[in-house]
Amino acid sequence: MFKNVLSRLVTQTVRPHRYAPPGPVIQRLIPASGPLRSFTDRKDEAQPQFDASLLDVLVCPLSKKPLRYDAETNELINEELGIAYPILDGIPNMIPQEARLIQKDSTEMPTQ
Amino acid sequence: MAASMRLLVRRAVRLSHRNITLTAAGAAARSGCCRGPSVCRCFSDEAEDRSTHFGFETVSETEKAKRVYKVFENVAQKYDIMNDAMSLGIHRVWKDALLHVMHPQPGAQLLDVAGGTGDIAFRFLEYIRLQEERQKRRAARSSQTPSWQDISNNYSTEDESRESRAVVCDINKEMLKVGKQKADSLGVSAGLSWVVGDAEELPFDDDQFDIYTIAFGIRNVTHIDQALQEALRVLKPGGRFMCLEFSKVNNPILSSIYDAYSFQMIPVIGEVIAGDWKSYQYLVESIRKFPNQEEFKGMIEDAGFYCVKYYNLTGGVVALHSGFKL
Repeated sequence: MFKNVLSRLVTQTVRPHRYAPPGPVIQRLIPASGPLRSFTDRKDEAQPQFDASLLDVLVCPLSKKPLRYDAETNELINEELGIAYPILDGIPNMIPQEARLIQKDSTEMPTQ
Repeated sequence: MAASMRLLVRRAVRLSHRNITLTAAGAAARSGCCRGPSVCRCFSDEAEDRSTHFGFETVSETEKAKRVYKVFENVAQKYDIMNDAMSLGIHRVWKDALLHVMHPQPGAQLLDVAGGTGDIAFRFLEYIRLQEERQKRRAARSSQTPSWQDISNNYSTEDESRESRAVVCDINKEMLKVGKQKADSLGVSAGLSWVVGDAEELPFDDDQFDIYTIAFGIRNVTHIDQALQEALRVLKPGGRFMCLEFSKVNNPILSSIYDAYSFQMIPVIGEVIAGDWKSYQYLVESIRKFPNQEEFKGMIEDAGFYCVKYYNLTGGVVALHSGFKL
């Protein structure tokens, strides 16, 4: 019985290999993998798809008020306090010390 | 005197692998250090920079936060491998036990603080997925010929029922990066979010989450009581706080084996696998500095949680504390 199962497994894996023509597969792989993956990767990092649902729960850790997502600078902005939290690799950084003051040019807020 | 004892322990651990000197020095250092930092704290309470413990050392609070950050930045890449090596895979059992006690239902919102590489969040989503499949199978079996009313109900609940979601929050970007990579390689993305945040100052609104977990992270927080208060704040009424942490082993035989293993084997494994002796030395020392089961239960109750209880796992090596916000 075991031999039957084994032989069935082997023939089943071999069959698709025989039928799938190698030509179009290779043609599909080469142009598709390179630029397409980098394109989607770049899009995913900048894309706010995760942000939309996160914005429901995320607030400024200091004032506990909701934030505004700014797509150009890829930051979460608290208008009231005038600070912006950066988003790196799609992960928002909500540490107050790493937030940027919007009005001034300084990059770090003074520690509390 | 305490300082010289600590130095002695360090030197003994690094140079010799002899059992006798090590356990004796370790025991002496521990008893000396327990008195030391508490005295320092009394004197420096008025000062700007309070002091706390970093393993067996006494450091300022800002210093501790920085050093803990550095520790996890260094170990992030090898964190999961080290966990398996140090605990001989038993950490998986502990985390599975956490999920089993949690028993989350579909639609639950989880906040995993100090979640780092996402172990709890992944298990949570998997558990809920299995629950949903089981429920669907049960529903399919019982309703072989649904009435028109059942069919219309099914259509409406599919959109309205809340999707379960897991938010992983950690103060360390490197740990989250590793976790995100794991998620991408496992193909898990739906209902999973990653946020860099401080457990003492969570970037979440009040009454948001059904379950708050912190697994093997709370001993690294500088102000544990603040973290507990934040946990109470972000939980919904009826929400559950769950904490997995290394704790006190009561059995003396198991305790001596555990101490010997911790102080002799773990930093060595850390050096061999992760190339970082000091971080793992900090790890085992920080376990000894953390309050025991009853003390921690008291801290959780002080923060305002009700029905606080704890479960000892592996003879007390790990304790699972649970409390409710009512």
